[in-house]
Amino acid sequence: MSGTLDKIYNSTLLALNINSREIFRLQEQVASGSRLNRPSDDPSAAYRVLNLSSSQRSLENYMENISQVSDVLQFATTAIDEMKTALADAKRLLGDVTGGVSGGVTLNVTIEGINDVIERIAAAANTQHSGKYIFGGSNTRTAPYLLTRENGIITSVTYQGSLQNRDITVSPGVNTSGFYVGEDLFRSNNRSEPVFTGQTGLSAGSGTSSVRGDVQMIVTHDGSNYRISIDAGLTETVVPVGGDSNLMVTDSRTGQVLYVNADPASMSTGNEWVQVPGTHDIFNTLINIRDKLQTEGGLTSSQMEELRSKAYQAIEEINTVLIQKSVEIGSKIGFLDSLKGNLQNVKYSTDDEKARIEEADIAQLAIDLARREVLYQMSLAVSSRLISMSILDYI
Amino acid sequence: MANFEIGISGLTAAQKSLDIIGNNIANAATPGYHKQRLDLNPAYCAYNSATIIGGGVDARSITRMIDNLLEKELLRQNSILTQIAQERTTLQTIENTFGELAGSGGLNAAIDRMFNAFADLTGHVGEIIWQQQVVAEAEMMASQFRSMGDILSKLDQQITLESEHLIERANTLITQIAKFNDDIERIEITGGVANNLRDHRDQLITQLSEIIGVQTIERRNGVVDVEAGGIAVVIGTSYSSLEAGIMEEGGLGITIQGASNYTSNVHGGRIGALISLKNNIIGGIRENVDTLATTVISQVNQYHVQGIGSAGSFNRLDGWAVSTTVLADWVPPITDGKINIRVTDISTGDISRTEINLAAIVPSNPSVGLTLEDVAAEINDITGLNCWVDSSGLHLERSSANYKFDFLPEVLPEPTDSTLTGTSVPNIAVSGVYTGTENDTFTFTVSGAGTVGNGVLELVVTNSDGQAVKTLNIGSGYAAGDILEVGNGIRISIGVGDFGVDDNFEVDAFSSTDTSGLLAAAGVNTFFKGTGASDITVCSDIIDNPARVAASLSSDGHDNANVSRFAQLSGESLAELGNLTIGDYYRKLVTDIGQELSIRQVRQDSIEASVKNLQNQRSEISGVDINEQAAQLLVFQQMFQSMAKYMSVVQNTLDSIMSIV
Repeated sequence: MSGTLDKIYNSTLLALNINSREIFRLQEQVASGSRLNRPSDDPSAAYRVLNLSSSQRSLENYMENISQVSDVLQFATTAIDEMKTALADAKRLLGDVTGGVSGGVTLNVTIEGINDVIERIAAAANTQHSGKYIFGGSNTRTAPYLLTRENGIITSVTYQGSLQNRDITVSPGVNTSGFYVGEDLFRSNNRSEPVFTGQTGLSAGSGTSSVRGDVQMIVTHDGSNYRISIDAGLTETVVPVGGDSNLMVTDSRTGQVLYVNADPASMSTGNEWVQVPGTHDIFNTLINIRDKLQTEGGLTSSQMEELRSKAYQAIEEINTVLIQKSVEIGSKIGFLDSLKGNLQNVKYSTDDEKARIEEADIAQLAIDLARREVLYQMSLAVSSRLISMSILDYI
Repeated sequence: MANFEIGISGLTAAQKSLDIIGNNIANAATPGYHKQRLDLNPAYCAYNSATIIGGGVDARSITRMIDNLLEKELLRQNSILTQIAQERTTLQTIENTFGELAGSGGLNAAIDRMFNAFADLTGHVGEIIWQQQVVAEAEMMASQFRSMGDILSKLDQQITLESEHLIERANTLITQIAKFNDDIERIEITGGVANNLRDHRDQLITQLSEIIGVQTIERRNGVVDVEAGGIAVVIGTSYSSLEAGIMEEGGLGITIQGASNYTSNVHGGRIGALISLKNNIIGGIRENVDTLATTVISQVNQYHVQGIGSAGSFNRLDGWAVSTTVLADWVPPITDGKINIRVTDISTGDISRTEINLAAIVPSNPSVGLTLEDVAAEINDITGLNCWVDSSGLHLERSSANYKFDFLPEVLPEPTDSTLTGTSVPNIAVSGVYTGTENDTFTFTVSGAGTVGNGVLELVVTNSDGQAVKTLNIGSGYAAGDILEVGNGIRISIGVGDFGVDDNFEVDAFSSTDTSGLLAAAGVNTFFKGTGASDITVCSDIIDNPARVAASLSSDGHDNANVSRFAQLSGESLAELGNLTIGDYYRKLVTDIGQELSIRQVRQDSIEASVKNLQNQRSEISGVDINEQAAQLLVFQQMFQSMAKYMSVVQNTLDSIMSIV
């Protein structure tokens, strides 16, 4: 055979190098199950795989966030359902008192029943999920509703949570909050003109009042002028002799004002409940109803009927708000479920795409490996044959 | 007796040929050996009458079988191959250091996990587990950066050391080549044959070409001049040694020993690879990794300095040590901008915000410009705060237990300035965190006059450019105390009272409470500490107390506005990173290395094949074919035996003649 030793050596070495490098590469792919073990194996594919890996992590994070928000919202729905049930119970209790005997045992049972309702609603409003208050907006660490009690009875409920939502990102460009601001949920925010239904002769002024819910107004006369108070007599606003079509009466406890049209000619003294439709909140409504029943225990049937009617209206207003919010939350849960489903689908696609790019074709690898083994052995065999065939054997 | 001369010439020629064949076979496996051949010519012819009588064979010279052009191309290709192989090996080390696609590790995942931890914290503000997770993931990412920075730094140093070592080896070869030139010249100038010495010298040149790209110039008497890296290192029998060193502009270069004019324009060989690696490839990768780390540090810190964690506002903050307190010498230099510091009087609940305008501070030493000490003196003038600079950096501390301070951008609860002329001035309450992109001052001007909640009464809101951005109804239809949305996160509520004509008030809104960047640069309330990949770390006070992770921008510490900004950073295209996101920039960096490596792999394979082809081509010309040599061995053996027989026949013939006589 012709050929120098160098040439045989070089050719053999080149062939062995190429084949052993390929065998190592194939072996690594078989061992890892991946055709991409480092970016240089296929840089553009590696870029896509790294991007897809980031997307996977991001999608998992979004889905985890969605699960957490959904869990909180489910809790919120349950709490609101409990409130709606409690309100229905309050209505039933009010129905009982009007249908039964005025005063006495039935009234007390009703008042106690409404106290229970307030307690149930307060407990629901201060519901916690995983140690976090769910109706305090961004403040999840403090009970959103501060309950003030006298002799164990809730006398006022104050919102002390945050007025801000805590939005979290559940999908690129989509933020949502699981922690609702209680003030937005349990309070009607559709202010209308105050309704005066009593016998004091007052009516709404032209200014926009800031009082909310039901306000007890006391009208007195000092011999010269009528005096109006909406803070249980703490302060009084004097009605000018000539009257005032837009007299501002202030509640010194809250700073809220009620504009009244006061014409002394048609006024009379007395107590009157002024109702501001569209501004009721769940706690004050129930507390007011309870207090009315307590303070005005000896109501006539017609007075009781009127009180019941007003209470029904207020409860219904709150119930409507709760239903609306319940539907809103339900829609949000539905949206989040749908979003999670979409993200899950995107993740499946991402997983598939990543696997398609990354995963090795084992059957193909086995064939390639066998081929390379054969080539490797052939390189050795041919070299051996080339070297062994020599004219020196014949000298 | 020509017969004997013919016989002797034949015997001599056969003998010499057998010697050369022996030498060829003996060097069949010697690298760089070139096959030799005895040139035989018919010897002088004599005419005897009409008969031509030969003079035997003339063994004049020994030829070294070489193709110089092929040898030069081989030298060049071999040099390129060595450079590419070296570059590929080093890039492979770097690629393995990055560790991407190998399991779940790698900086790509670490960056994702850190930002995902920030995103998780948005839903769990104030919860220690999630705060700890943020710190742990950030520290994990920082440690990956440090590890990468450390390896690249060591690689860089190793390249410098290796280049010095290689230059020493190159100098040894250069000396030997010059020495061989001398030996060859001495032999060949006297008509001698120095083929084996030439092979030996050429082998040394080949070895030199693997260290550095060389060019050779053939001269008379077998002498070869050699240029290495464009520098003439061997001229005849004289030589110059090389030296590797760092150039003025910072890169690696080579020069003649003792000279100072370094050049980095060196291609080929391992030196060419090391220069290219240090000056371009690793330098570029280090710069990119550092840019990424610096961007992560600066972006997170610029937000972090403004916020507070669940631990609340501060009693004391300590910055980090700075190399110089001259602000113009900082990188980047700090020359202007404003710092807004809020101080809360705990006993009264009063909150004041003081603006430190850097451009308005008169430097204590005008020749050096504004210093950190100058700024500290201004801050120190704020009631409730002490501020000073020492060797460990800038320090801020409340002056008594009655105060706390922060840099929150939350709007102050009351207007910053007002002109109110009503008989009963309404209470104006402002709240919220401004979400606009530029600091602004909003002016609220009353349109109309009268009592809140009555008649036609409006607030016209204009920005600092005088543009009306909103008109708010505070007349009929507005219940005093109700909250109005101004926009961009700011809310306002007007209490009961009345306004006069053209009454107005202002609200300062901040997107950044430190437009100078001084706080982040001085390490005050920062999340990360460090200047690049090699020293990035989470600040020790945050590691010690994860409740210091500044997730909130409002003083109650309940909101997630700041941590949301951290989380959103992952998706933001940043100018510092060529308008790429942090993740994309890193992924591009990694795959660029992979691309470079892949290109080198392909080039190496291609050049390797080319070199092997050239080597085979050379083997055909210069290599020793044992079979060919064996065949020639038979020929010259036969020739020798025949000539010996011929001599014997001639001798017998002479003996026969002599016996007749």
